[in-house]
Amino acid sequence: MNRRDLLVIGAGPAGMAAAAKAVKLGLTVTVLDEQPRAGGQIYRDVERAAKARGAMLGKDYVYGASLAAEMRESEIEYLSGSIVWAIEDGFRVSYTRDGSGAQIEADRILLATGALERPMPLPGWTLPGVMTAGAGQILLKQSGVLARRAVLVGTGPLLYLIAAQMVRAGTPPLALVETQTRSDFIRATRHLGGALRGWRYLAKGLTMLAAIQRAGVPRFTGATDISVEGQDRAEAVVFTCAGREHRIECDTVFLHHGVVPNVQAARSLDIPHEWRADQACFVPQLDGWGESPVAGVFIAGDGAGIGGAKVAEIAGRLAVLKIAEAAGRLSVKERDQRAAPLRRMIRRELAARPFLDLAYPPFAGALAPVDETIICRCEEVTAGDIRSAAKLGCLGPNQAKSFSRAGMGPCQGRYCGLTVTTLLAGANGQTADQTGYYRIRPPLKPVTLGELAAMSVTEPVGKE
Amino acid sequence: METDYAIIGGGVVGLSVAWGLLKRGLRVTVLDGDDGSFRASRGNFGLVWVQSKGMKQPRYARWSQQSAALWAEFAAELGHNTGLSVPLEQRGGYDLHFSEETLQDTVSKYEVLKEALGGDYPYEVLGHNALRKEEPHIGPKVVGAILHHQDGHANPLKLLQALADDVRRLGGHVLTGKTVTEVTKTDGFQISCSDSTTVSAAKVVLSAGLGAAQLGPKLGFKAPVRPQRGQVLITEKLPKLINRPSLIARQVDEGGIQIGATNEEVGRDDRVTQPGLSGLAAEAIAAYPALAKAQLVRSWGALRVLSPDGLPIYQESAEMPGAYLVTCHSGITLAAAHARLLPDWLEGHQNAPDLEVFSEDRFALS
Repeated sequence: MNRRDLLVIGAGPAGMAAAAKAVKLGLTVTVLDEQPRAGGQIYRDVERAAKARGAMLGKDYVYGASLAAEMRESEIEYLSGSIVWAIEDGFRVSYTRDGSGAQIEADRILLATGALERPMPLPGWTLPGVMTAGAGQILLKQSGVLARRAVLVGTGPLLYLIAAQMVRAGTPPLALVETQTRSDFIRATRHLGGALRGWRYLAKGLTMLAAIQRAGVPRFTGATDISVEGQDRAEAVVFTCAGREHRIECDTVFLHHGVVPNVQAARSLDIPHEWRADQACFVPQLDGWGESPVAGVFIAGDGAGIGGAKVAEIAGRLAVLKIAEAAGRLSVKERDQRAAPLRRMIRRELAARPFLDLAYPPFAGALAPVDETIICRCEEVTAGDIRSAAKLGCLGPNQAKSFSRAGMGPCQGRYCGLTVTTLLAGANGQTADQTGYYRIRPPLKPVTLGELAAMSVTEPVGKE
Repeated sequence: METDYAIIGGGVVGLSVAWGLLKRGLRVTVLDGDDGSFRASRGNFGLVWVQSKGMKQPRYARWSQQSAALWAEFAAELGHNTGLSVPLEQRGGYDLHFSEETLQDTVSKYEVLKEALGGDYPYEVLGHNALRKEEPHIGPKVVGAILHHQDGHANPLKLLQALADDVRRLGGHVLTGKTVTEVTKTDGFQISCSDSTTVSAAKVVLSAGLGAAQLGPKLGFKAPVRPQRGQVLITEKLPKLINRPSLIARQVDEGGIQIGATNEEVGRDDRVTQPGLSGLAAEAIAAYPALAKAQLVRSWGALRVLSPDGLPIYQESAEMPGAYLVTCHSGITLAAAHARLLPDWLEGHQNAPDLEVFSEDRFALS
């Protein structure tokens, strides 16, 4: 079997930068990525779309093309369209590509699996016509499709980015229904010093807001009691703002209230995680290089905690320094020397983060939704079902899963995990850390039995 | 005394016993573990199964038959009480064979057992063509099957949930997140937990699965139970593909095909492995070729709770009379017997089932 010094999972900014760096340091590297082309979510399809739609998507996006080119041009085995479904000790990674199963072994693994949009369960969110803002952006990046008569609901910089892109494309959204409040902003201002050190992020934000304002897009802030109405599909967004109920008719609703680390692969390796209150999510326990307590498994990028694309890129390179040192390609001294400027860059890039986290907190009404709201789309489980499971003694998500089926569907609990933890913690009066998270098992992504069976070495003999 | 019975272990075994005791008007406190405990109750295959059980000990075959016969009424009562349905099908089940030799060999063993059971062992042998009439999707590699009419399958998670609900409804106290550390006996039993919870009880039932291996000796039991890993797969929900269950695969009430299970002696490691998953997938496809295209959605590993001979252990402690060890591999099959019949044994009634062969004495020389 193919054995590599380093296996990188994910070809977003962290994965691309890490792979290119590792090859330069003399390591043999394979990159497995789900997408047909490099870039991850943030630079999705960047090498094609930057040419076609670069002006609309903006300079920060187009930058990703340089990372993709650097990775493609180096001696990296880059296997696009590879769905990783199991990571085992050794390390042995099983994946599916072009409809057949394969395995790679590697001395070390870098998980660069990025972030997921935080699910935003609120009444009506499962109606056709409602999607995450990120999904809307994927349509835009990949095929230039824009939603007409759309309302953006939620909070955070990505909401502004999409609104600004829609304005530039000539189809501004009907409205921005934002959930952050004035007091969130006031709380955030104590981190304004840090934010000013990360001024480029703020400047970008202000530019986007100005463009949205100029286009005459109405903004509602501090919205509560948000629901999507409609018979067979989304017809309107209803919410309360400043004590008044509003109803905006629309065809499309984009929901977004931040991103959270995609921890499925790390969880499947039993890497311990802890709750990060400032980002309201679990993050893996890592040392200063991104190595987990499972020796040889590194995590870089948003999967390690939300920091954004630039932090991901630098953290990928930083992790590779320790990997190269461990593989005998760098001395400890060289490693530490090269790391110092990277660490400074990460600190600078993260300076605005505490301000952003406080100014745009997730929408409380979607963290612990009302009983009737569906929280697990795969199995149609409601928030009330989870609270009932708590009454039957379920202290954690794995017990609640047995009773409610939440997390049993094809998404493997990716989209309901944090909601289930939050609901159980609330119902049982425990912390998120005490409550815990789903035990993640293979397959990380669905795989056919035929693909699995083709990897079997034994003949069926029947059961005893 | 706070309670008549303290039940250590809130899985299907402990809750079934608790339920039966509560129905007799006794006071019951159940001490259950946490979200990360090894829980065979949520990892098992879900068969209510008779064939192949007790090949060397007809009493075990009979005990399984007794429970299977009580199951439908037990499930119906739980459903009636809680409003949760506990899906159950008892229309027979298969032992599928890929070779004539293994089929013949198994049939001759069944004949011996049937004799010992006085003829009450209703099975028939189906050749490939006869089986195909029952199971149109069966593959050409399957030479035949033994169809046993007392076999069936249930939704084990719905059973667990209904028990958890009804035990509370009947007034049982269920303490969750508990790890029992000590059990002492003076007048009555004193049970201490790691979080310094204590419970005093007149009697104690130890039904803590693998936990009995540590706790058992403190109560005077040998408790020679060991873990054996079983990996299980489940596919996406599919239209009806499998009529009756087998040890290889069954179609669950929600539509997914559940495939199992490995038998691995790997200690307390409940992880799944690629070779394990691949082997099971290959076997399931050999039995039902249409499964090759099905998506695997979930897999898990769970630890069977096995005694040296695979049979249950029902034992009252000689050192601490009033303490009982109740442990078995087949907690789902035996749930009805544990709920309906075991309380008589615990209470020492005249009509209690004879469970002598399941005592720990059988391990004396080992």
